[in-house]
Amino acid sequence: MAEPLLRLEGVGKSFGPVTVLEDINLDIAQGEVLGILGENGAGKSTLLKIISGIYTPSAGRIHIGGSAFDALDPISARRLGVAMIPQEFNLVATLKVYENVFLGQELRRSSFLDHARMREQTRALLESLDVHLDPNQTIERLSVAQKQMVEVARVLVNDARIVILDEPTTVLTSHETAVLFRVVKALVDKGVTVLFISHKLREVKALCDRLLILRDGRQVEHCAVASMNEEDMARKMVGRELAQIFPDKPTDGAPRGTPALAVRGLCVEGVLHDIDFDVHRGEILGLAGLVGAGRTEIAETIMGLRRKSAGDLLIDGEPVTFKSPRDAHARGLAYLSEDRQGKGLQLSFNVMQNVTDLSLARYVRGLIRHGLERKRAEEYQSRLSIKAAHLAAPVGLLSGGNQQKVYFAKLLDIEPDILLLDEPTRGIDISAKQQIYRLIRELTAQGKAVVVISSELEEIIGLADRALVIRQGRVAATLEGDDINEERIMLYAAGAWEADTERRADNARSQGARP
Amino acid sequence: MNPLPQRTTPLAQRFRRLPWNAAILAPLAALILLFVVSSFASEYFLNTRNLSNVLRQVSYTGIIAIGMTFVIIAGGIDLSVGSMVALVGVAVLYVLNTITDPLQAVILAMLAAVVGGALLGLFNGLLVTRGRIAAFVVTLATMSIFRSLALYFTDAAEVTTRNPLFSEVGGGFVLGIPIPVWTFFLLAIVSHVLLFHTAFGRHVCAVGANAQVARYSGIRVERVVLSAFLIAGVCVGLSAIMLTSRLNSVSPSDAGYFYELDAIAAVVIGGTALSGGRGTVWGTVIGALILGIINNMLNLTGVSPYLQGLVKGAVILLAVLLQYKRTP
Amino acid sequence: MLTSHADGVITMKLTRVLQKTALATALMGTALGASAQEYHIGVTVPAAEHGWTAGLSWWAQQATEELTEKHPDVSFTVLSANSGTAQVANVEDLMIRDLDALVILPYNPATLQSVISEAYEEGIYTVVVDRELETPAQNVFIAGDNPGLGEQAARYIAEELGGEGNLLVLEGPPIPINSQRVDAFNQVMENYPDINILASQNTDWNAQQALSVTEDLLGSNPEVDAIWAGDDDVLIAAIQAIEENNRDDIQLVVGGGGSQRVIEMIRSDHPIVKGTVTYPPSMIASAIALAVHGVKGERLGDMYHGVPSRMILAADLITADNVEEYYEPDAAY
Repeated sequence: MAEPLLRLEGVGKSFGPVTVLEDINLDIAQGEVLGILGENGAGKSTLLKIISGIYTPSAGRIHIGGSAFDALDPISARRLGVAMIPQEFNLVATLKVYENVFLGQELRRSSFLDHARMREQTRALLESLDVHLDPNQTIERLSVAQKQMVEVARVLVNDARIVILDEPTTVLTSHETAVLFRVVKALVDKGVTVLFISHKLREVKALCDRLLILRDGRQVEHCAVASMNEEDMARKMVGRELAQIFPDKPTDGAPRGTPALAVRGLCVEGVLHDIDFDVHRGEILGLAGLVGAGRTEIAETIMGLRRKSAGDLLIDGEPVTFKSPRDAHARGLAYLSEDRQGKGLQLSFNVMQNVTDLSLARYVRGLIRHGLERKRAEEYQSRLSIKAAHLAAPVGLLSGGNQQKVYFAKLLDIEPDILLLDEPTRGIDISAKQQIYRLIRELTAQGKAVVVISSELEEIIGLADRALVIRQGRVAATLEGDDINEERIMLYAAGAWEADTERRADNARSQGARP
Repeated sequence: MNPLPQRTTPLAQRFRRLPWNAAILAPLAALILLFVVSSFASEYFLNTRNLSNVLRQVSYTGIIAIGMTFVIIAGGIDLSVGSMVALVGVAVLYVLNTITDPLQAVILAMLAAVVGGALLGLFNGLLVTRGRIAAFVVTLATMSIFRSLALYFTDAAEVTTRNPLFSEVGGGFVLGIPIPVWTFFLLAIVSHVLLFHTAFGRHVCAVGANAQVARYSGIRVERVVLSAFLIAGVCVGLSAIMLTSRLNSVSPSDAGYFYELDAIAAVVIGGTALSGGRGTVWGTVIGALILGIINNMLNLTGVSPYLQGLVKGAVILLAVLLQYKRTP
Repeated sequence: MLTSHADGVITMKLTRVLQKTALATALMGTALGASAQEYHIGVTVPAAEHGWTAGLSWWAQQATEELTEKHPDVSFTVLSANSGTAQVANVEDLMIRDLDALVILPYNPATLQSVISEAYEEGIYTVVVDRELETPAQNVFIAGDNPGLGEQAARYIAEELGGEGNLLVLEGPPIPINSQRVDAFNQVMENYPDINILASQNTDWNAQQALSVTEDLLGSNPEVDAIWAGDDDVLIAAIQAIEENNRDDIQLVVGGGGSQRVIEMIRSDHPIVKGTVTYPPSMIASAIALAVHGVKGERLGDMYHGVPSRMILAADLITADNVEEYYEPDAAY
């Protein structure tokens, strides 16, 4: 094997008496992709921060390109070619693509900015990554995936040799993920080394050459990816036998009768067209599709957050109109937004205040009964095993998985009959995911109706009793039983198949072969 | 299924009150320190009459600062309160001087102040919510409008009243404590309950912390913001009553001059975040007291008038620095 | 030469700031060992946000320093306020400190009426300066001659113009002092039918405001012979506007107040600034002196009576003829 580009030797980190990382040894060659796996809190971000120079290790040495360091600082790390693409992008929303790519190292021609050259170089860079993006676009008008590409281009301008991608696919659809993978391969071809952090075992398996698994701050595995399968990886990460991630689907056939929620001909000007579906009590309905297909809009329109231009909603067969989420809550509907931090939780509020955010009226007898709030929050804390130092701490300090559990508690506290869950496991680790999947199944077992919107195919496949595929604001297909599989969902979602071709297998095959 | 949470519960209880106290601890410490320093700096400071004077001087801006607390926590700001004092004050004097029966005149004038303040606050609130203009801009404009109207109605001249009862309101005492001070403290208690113990108060915090989350939670965001401005207006009305009756007059160019800045300073010293979402009424009361004691001490010790602004600014910075030290 | 002078001023100011800070610290530390003095006089004036009020503060400081030396049994506290309500607090705070006499130039009289009455009724020897209370509550009232200021300026302008010409008037804010000046001015001008007052506008006695008002007025009036500014700060702004607009039709500009800058202009034979009328901020110094004598029950000079209850300082016309009498290069106004 060639001389490793990056080598860690017994690296550890403690904060006071608390050791968060211990004895990490790894080496990566130039042009390799290293997958770093671990649950939240396993020490992944600490490790990244040590490599990018933000933290000083309390033990061990770092070798980069043959030179050894006891510690790095952010500036020398950057000079050595280490670049990190964070989960929250560091882009200036009001500036253009090329301005962001060259931010802080603008090209000048005799002290004035050389816009033309920066634009041209940005275009060339993006093209070398096989990304089609106008350098003149303003960042705020780009999709999340496109913004990520801008970050990648920016890293390349820096002549990065080691690029760290911190859970880059969390916010991407499968299609966008495929594009990102292509870009990563292009980076590798340029001789760049990539550190890829993810929760998604399949992605790591598909993309990475080698693998580092962390658990509780210790390195539990460092090997070639080829030598492990996904189950092995999951077992190493969690440190115990993972029972099946998804709970069993009920076998007694789909419940019938009056649907708990029926949507008829729902339209939103220019966004949704003639959406029809039913959800029954005890059922999980999956809504699959690409990001931007209109799934979130469906949920928001049902909740009264968007104005519908036509269509009806029926709850238990009774027509209803919701002008605001307030009305929807009153009829037993609750919505979990995909944007947990922007629309779901008050990050500066504590656990108790968030739990009672929707249900506050139940705690008021003249004045708010703070004791009762606390009691209820404690109940949820133990029922959903929420790990929080204390209930009065701001929710923003909790990990993603625990935040999501608090968000669920917030919905559950109004005792809803129908739950619309939009990306219910976004950005949380595998054991929290598993807990949430079980919770969702428990809810349907209690006779609640659940709609799950997800961009993760596994989740739709593993969870949904029935699934709708949404494409461009329309229902492209309704799938049941074994038809809920990766191939079908993708074909409908990407528009390769149309709903009316479903029954005609020959026709479908001939069209499906093309992409 | 999961035995862990039972162990965390007693721990949680032990830390139960910690974050709430920390928010108010820094300004309180500053107040106590200032109080001790002041009593050493001037032999007159602990004089009962001086203390009662300080409290009375504080109450005019303090009452406004309480209203401002609601607006700032809800994510807004109200720059118009100072001008509003002048305009409401002019209305008060107008009512006083139009109605002949003294008692009736005083009662109606006070009513006019509260209603007038509420209406002006509502006007600000409507522009912010329905007009969708930033609170800073709206109240910057109404600050100018209200002051201008006050000058116009009076031809810029001071207005006085010969009503014999009126000066008893702001100049009077109950149980040896000036009436404005009673008003200030009672208002503080009511506001604290409103902010901390009612659903409305929780909603004010929610809207200020993240309006989007509040909207998704079914909180009527616009109504909450509107109410916050309304409360600020009512507080201005109360302050205008106390101030005009203490002075038995109103000067349209001078009444409430720079009150908005004193009120905002009191709120900020009290630990309320200017970005909204969290804050306490007690903090604001302490902030107002700190500002009042500084002014009083500077006057008592006869510090050069040129340097008073420096000392005042330094104390504001110090109080705020102390607070932000606790959150790294 | 100029720079070294400026440097000197800055150094002086710095030393003063340091001295004051030291003084303030000392005061805070020692809890004021000054109560041995028999008389304590409190002075409160509007904050120095204008040339004239700056002069006021300067003269108040000057007088208290000089009088402390002459009268070791008297101590002073000087406060300033940036609003009427702040001045109410000033008086309240002064009264706490065993006050024997109060000298006040009220920010606005009605706002301060009740608190001055309280002080006066408590037996504090009260001197009200410049702005009269609606209900008198003082031992002494001392002021400049506002109608006199307008009258003197009008007579001088009419004479210089030979009884005919076009005139601009730059007024102050709509407060009694301003209307007294302008009314008296207009009354004199009624005797000169050929003098044409083109415009009479509010400048708030504020230099920036005055600059833009004058620019506007000059723009809309192509033929102007003279300008009367009821205040010297306004006059200086008006001169700037005239110079920037290259207006050579204007022959005469007359001010009001008697600031050292305008006096210097008259002294150095300025082509158009030829006169101003006194309205001296030093009245606060005289007021403080009156308080010293009044509170001690002394008479002024050879007078056969105690301190008079009402004094109006003359409004004197300053021209090249008598300018040396008023030249005082150290004064702040």
